[in-house]
Amino acid sequence: MPITAPQPASDDIRPPRARRTGTRPGLRALGTLALATAVLVATAACGSSGSGSADGAGAAGGGAPVDGGTLRFAAEVEPDCLDPAVSPADVTGVVDRNVFDSLVRLDSAGTFHPWLATSWEVSPDGLTYTFHLRTDVLFHDGTKLDAAAVKATLEHAVDPATKSLYAGGLLEGFAGADAPDPATAVIRLTKPRAALLQALSTPYLGIQSPKSLADNAADLCRKPVGSGPFSFVSWEKSTSVTLKRNPGYAWAPEGAAHTGAAHLEKLVFQIVPEESVRQGQLRSGQIEIAGNAAPARIADLKGTKGFQVLQQEAPGQVYGLFLNPVAGVLADERVRTALARSLQLDALVKSVYHDTRHRAQGPLGPGTVFYDKSVEGVLGYDPAGAGKLLDEAGWTGRDADGYRTKDGKRLTVVWPTSAYLARDNRDLLAQGVQADAKKAGIELQYLNQDPGTFAKTAVGGTADVLGFSFVRPEADILRHYFGSASTADKGGSNLFRISDPQLDGWLDQGASSSDPAVRGRAYAQAQKYVVDHVLEIPLYVPVTALGASSRVHGVGFDAAAFPQFYDAWLAAR
Amino acid sequence: MKGLPPPAGGLALLRHWVVRRLALAVVVVLGAASAAFAGLWLAPGDPVQLIVGSHEVTPEVAARVRDDLGLDEPLVVQYGRFLGRLLSGDLGHSYQASRPVADVLGDQAAATVELALAGFLLALLGAVLLAVATAGRRPWLRRASSAVELVLGSTPAFWAGIVLLTLFSFRWQLFPAVDGGGLDGLVLPAVTLALPMLGVFAQVLRESMERSLEEPYALSARARGSGETALRLRHSLRHTLVPLLTLSGWTVGSLLSGAVVVETVFSRQGIGRITASAISARDLPVVTGVVVVSAVVFTVVNLLVDVGYAIADPRLKESLR
Repeated sequence: MPITAPQPASDDIRPPRARRTGTRPGLRALGTLALATAVLVATAACGSSGSGSADGAGAAGGGAPVDGGTLRFAAEVEPDCLDPAVSPADVTGVVDRNVFDSLVRLDSAGTFHPWLATSWEVSPDGLTYTFHLRTDVLFHDGTKLDAAAVKATLEHAVDPATKSLYAGGLLEGFAGADAPDPATAVIRLTKPRAALLQALSTPYLGIQSPKSLADNAADLCRKPVGSGPFSFVSWEKSTSVTLKRNPGYAWAPEGAAHTGAAHLEKLVFQIVPEESVRQGQLRSGQIEIAGNAAPARIADLKGTKGFQVLQQEAPGQVYGLFLNPVAGVLADERVRTALARSLQLDALVKSVYHDTRHRAQGPLGPGTVFYDKSVEGVLGYDPAGAGKLLDEAGWTGRDADGYRTKDGKRLTVVWPTSAYLARDNRDLLAQGVQADAKKAGIELQYLNQDPGTFAKTAVGGTADVLGFSFVRPEADILRHYFGSASTADKGGSNLFRISDPQLDGWLDQGASSSDPAVRGRAYAQAQKYVVDHVLEIPLYVPVTALGASSRVHGVGFDAAAFPQFYDAWLAAR
Repeated sequence: MKGLPPPAGGLALLRHWVVRRLALAVVVVLGAASAAFAGLWLAPGDPVQLIVGSHEVTPEVAARVRDDLGLDEPLVVQYGRFLGRLLSGDLGHSYQASRPVADVLGDQAAATVELALAGFLLALLGAVLLAVATAGRRPWLRRASSAVELVLGSTPAFWAGIVLLTLFSFRWQLFPAVDGGGLDGLVLPAVTLALPMLGVFAQVLRESMERSLEEPYALSARARGSGETALRLRHSLRHTLVPLLTLSGWTVGSLLSGAVVVETVFSRQGIGRITASAISARDLPVVTGVVVVSAVVFTVVNLLVDVGYAIADPRLKESLR
């Protein structure tokens, strides 16, 4: 359910689970106050703020890479489990990407590159994938990579005993894996699944040592063994995860900036829940990268000498308001359209996010393969048009508070939410949306509920509006929110139980066709349909934003906008 | 026991009383555990949904979780099972860490005990110094100290922690923001935990010291020519510390709850951190485990304090019945 963990592969290094503590919003507000002090002090301590540093400067040049050193990354959230097959958390993906290699690598343009598999074929019916594996790959425990390892990894992910919260679901339609010979792994599907390669490219399906899977079964969460450029050293609960360079690494994916072992000697992920503490650590040189830089901090960091901001827009389902087209006042498309047209989203997103996020135009982020530009401008601000639509829909009366009424009933739209969803300034954004809606005479009730009540409301399909996002570099994510087979009871997020044969047709075609042209056309129509019929009001495109010392170079982002450390290096102080 | 004549002899009386208190303690612990059970199992929403979280989970996995937690059973059966396990000392299995809860808490206990002890000792030391320095002295000094204590006592640990970090770690870089394992990493967290407690302790101690300075023994010490500070340290302090015993329940409570905040701000290991993450992840067995362990600690401390009182102060013997 997205209700509780909206973003297994979500927009930042901040998985859902740790966002559910009741105390946190309060702490957070205080932290912001304290941060003002922290930043003032730190800025003064850092001396003059000179030339700004460019975004992604770390990725581009900075001289010849230097080997050695320890990169300390302060993550907001602790991984729940380091077995990638189990955990749905972003932070697990970010950490495990260094420990596990995948069969294939997906670049942000949507192209797949060889990694542990040197080549692969798909059968004409789309049901059988054959991977030809490298034969020179060793896991950190000395085991050799072979087809049996691939088979064991995938079977581990789908085994109900693993209780996978994400990876298992990625393997939708998995019928089995075979190892006809050590260098050939075959995956069989029950139905064609165009998104399979993308699923296999994620760290969540990184290939694990079969020896570790067999011997270590009870302890996989705390002892990840893969073949990646870094090997696992230790996990100090609540404090840090330490990885060290794998000196024998010689199987970098195609498209990496270098080959051979990683530049960094050590990679330490500290768990620092408080944003103000992460920023303070960064500015005082106690860490090199601070995860989840708040929008307000980004401009500060950019303007401070010695620091940079590394950021990347995330692909997948943007943060948007899903409107209930099945029941309630929003079942009337005119009311949905009126709501969308009464929002001044350009200005709102700009001010709430200090110019660090883009307004979303369609359900998919522009970085997603098969994003279709035809959605742009469809849901523009038009208060007059909105008023006309509401009149047509019969909401012609006005009550004492200025809200529209019909038959004496106020036009009220209910948007339940829960504290853990309020990250990334989403509360502020909601207030802006509420204010704009009020101008149009629509009462938008933004109701904060405890997670249990919220889950019940959301799954019950009784809400008018729900706000979610889901980062995944695959347009198939649309099916998850709008496909009629993706209702809550089937593990999907189509919480309003939308059942639209036309939409289903495109989404199923996109999910099953292996022809990119066919998929592109299908997804273009689906995206257009979603905005034309206002099944969703897209709000903004999530961003991964890291505050970093300018000593950091070579940190890139993968297709899901997760930071990558294989090519990373640290310049001398 | 009602109706029976009280056993003769002080020791027998004490034993009788301790047994009764122990029985009560068991009831208290069971009550706390039941409240935790009720609070978490009966909270709105399907626990499986909350635990599983991720939306790509297959119905088979959800069924597995439900089965693991025994959620298919009627509530009464679940509750009975829960109590049965608890009575046999089994705190259950952490869903999040996939380990026994006892192990999870055991691993983290040392860090919290270290922090709590350091914080407590700092608070005690600071409060004693303040009390000795200000009790019965010039009114302005007393007022100033009292004002500072009030501020300390009402400053949220979170705020204090961030300010300390900002100054001592980020600005002057004297201490690390995140514990690297050394003793220097303990300083700021312990101070943060100690400050609010110091404020309260100092108020209590000063009151109590002022009262004790008016006792006859103080007068006789003065008459013997004892200096004021020596009098405070050698004679008055021992009496003064007794009211702190009364506060011990509150102290344990603030140490435990303070640990949640301090461990989060300073990214430390510990029971507090585990509690916070278990609540957020709805790791029900861990949450109940923490509740049970805290209830046990509370009860034991209170029991010891009461016994200590009874032994220390003969006047309280009467109340033992």
